[in-house]
Amino acid sequence: MGKAFRFASRLIAPAVLLAAASVVQSPASAGEIRLGLGDIESVETLNLMIAIERTKARGVDVNLISFKSEDVANQAIVNDQADIGIGTPYAIIQKVKAPIRLFFQLSTLQFYPVVNTEHYKTWKDLDGGDLVVHSRTSGTLAIANLMALKHGIKYGSISYVPGSEVRALGMLKGNIKASIIDSVNTNFLKSKDAKKFQVLPLGDLAASDEALFARKDYLEKNAADVQVFLEELVKTWREINKNPAIVQTERTKYGLLKDLPKDLEKEILPYFEVGAAGGMFPNDGGGASAARADFDFYSVAGQIKGNAADLKVEDFWYLKPLDTVLNKLK
Amino acid sequence: MALRDLSRQAWMWKILSFVLFFGAWEIAGQIPISLSFPTFVDTFVAFMRMTFDGSFLGAYAQTVQPLLIGVLISSFAGIACGVGMGLWRGFEWCTLVIFIILQAAPVAAIIPLITYLYGIGLTSKVIAVVIMSLPLIVLNSYKGIRHTHPSLLEMSRSFQGSRMQEIMKIILPAASPLIFAGLRLGVGAGFIGVVLAELLITPTGIGDLITYHRSVADYPEMFAAITSIIVLAAVTLTGLLKLEVFVRPENRAR
Repeated sequence: MGKAFRFASRLIAPAVLLAAASVVQSPASAGEIRLGLGDIESVETLNLMIAIERTKARGVDVNLISFKSEDVANQAIVNDQADIGIGTPYAIIQKVKAPIRLFFQLSTLQFYPVVNTEHYKTWKDLDGGDLVVHSRTSGTLAIANLMALKHGIKYGSISYVPGSEVRALGMLKGNIKASIIDSVNTNFLKSKDAKKFQVLPLGDLAASDEALFARKDYLEKNAADVQVFLEELVKTWREINKNPAIVQTERTKYGLLKDLPKDLEKEILPYFEVGAAGGMFPNDGGGASAARADFDFYSVAGQIKGNAADLKVEDFWYLKPLDTVLNKLK
Repeated sequence: MALRDLSRQAWMWKILSFVLFFGAWEIAGQIPISLSFPTFVDTFVAFMRMTFDGSFLGAYAQTVQPLLIGVLISSFAGIACGVGMGLWRGFEWCTLVIFIILQAAPVAAIIPLITYLYGIGLTSKVIAVVIMSLPLIVLNSYKGIRHTHPSLLEMSRSFQGSRMQEIMKIILPAASPLIFAGLRLGVGAGFIGVVLAELLITPTGIGDLITYHRSVADYPEMFAAITSIIVLAAVTLTGLLKLEVFVRPENRAR
């Protein structure tokens, strides 16, 4: 009996382990969207939070779930444990044929090449110089590679330090001489020493920093809920582009980020003013033109394989919900 | 003859266990239980490719550095500290509580704090390894010393053995099984520490391979990288077990 039990347990244990891994959560009910955010709520997500509150006011409940990282959020969507994710999951769509599609560009990339002028003053100075970016497949590395091509330079070394705030602190301490960092931390460095820290010219970048994506079958089955959410997103983005100050009034109205420290409160208006001026929040949700810009950019970043010109928009984006909303709002 | 049969049977059970596990993995990947879950065959192919194209070699050249430094510090300092705690009450009272707290502390939460103190370089990663492995080595060594059988100590005294003879010939040999067990646990924890550090501080070595392949959705390569660190840890621990038998052959029967 004992031997038989041991034999059976040895046979069954691995199968039980793997079966347990496949247990999935129940899907959301109608009228509720589970939105997976691969980050925490912050100044940078205030515009999204306003659009969510407005969507809720129209009877569609949006449940914002914070995950540790974009990768975890991606897995939640792929495994049907969240409905809509935020990110740019081109690699998953292309490599594992995940039935997910992007459908709204939340923001374009807003990163700035910042140099310590004691070491570098122009792109040419960075020929053979040291540059620090986020990671091996990040947008920051793609920007670095694009600029190297454009200016005909070759970096001496490229190091990886995740987090714009960490790289900004590294620059402040003098450990990092040149990096590519987000707008909030660029402003932080310039506020500390505008002469020492300067931004090198970059040109226009239309590629997505964040986009909404979901399983295509979810978008088809829940078209009405998704349409309400997209309408509020487009309206909110257009209002912010006209007048960035509405973010503060809407924040007060809905009681968003109540615990935000005073220091960070001061950053709200500059962040949205710079973003609106730089075309960070598209009035039209990006659509096909955003997809094309992403193909070019993320091919350089190494997230998309193959010739960008040969890629089909419909293999990565589902444009019907956005087209419907844009036709309605004009 | 009977011993040889038993040994052969043990090997058969081990091989059967691997076959069942990898078979279940292959089936789970074929279903698939998740689109991101690769099959065993795909992972094995990726594992071999990364072994021969130098990916693992380059990664482990970086990962082994903090691991080796951390484990060596933990081993020498840990055994010395644990033996000291076991032999002297005053030292025990001063230090025992620190190691008990360290053992209970959630290290994944502490690692980001280390970066505030020591930045993002090698030092932080070594400290992550030491924090994981040191308490296990110290506490096992301490318990080994403390659990020396009283009759052995009485025998030493009845033969008028000096304190030094008591320590060298009775206490340390009696404690060696627990000290070695602590070393094995500590080295195992060191592997966890270095992977956590490479995932949470800056992506280097094997942590970089895992992060990179996850970000570009190369899941077979990502699983292969994770498998490689498990294999390396298992091989290292088996090596330690063999070393223990070599150093203390009388423990072979246990």
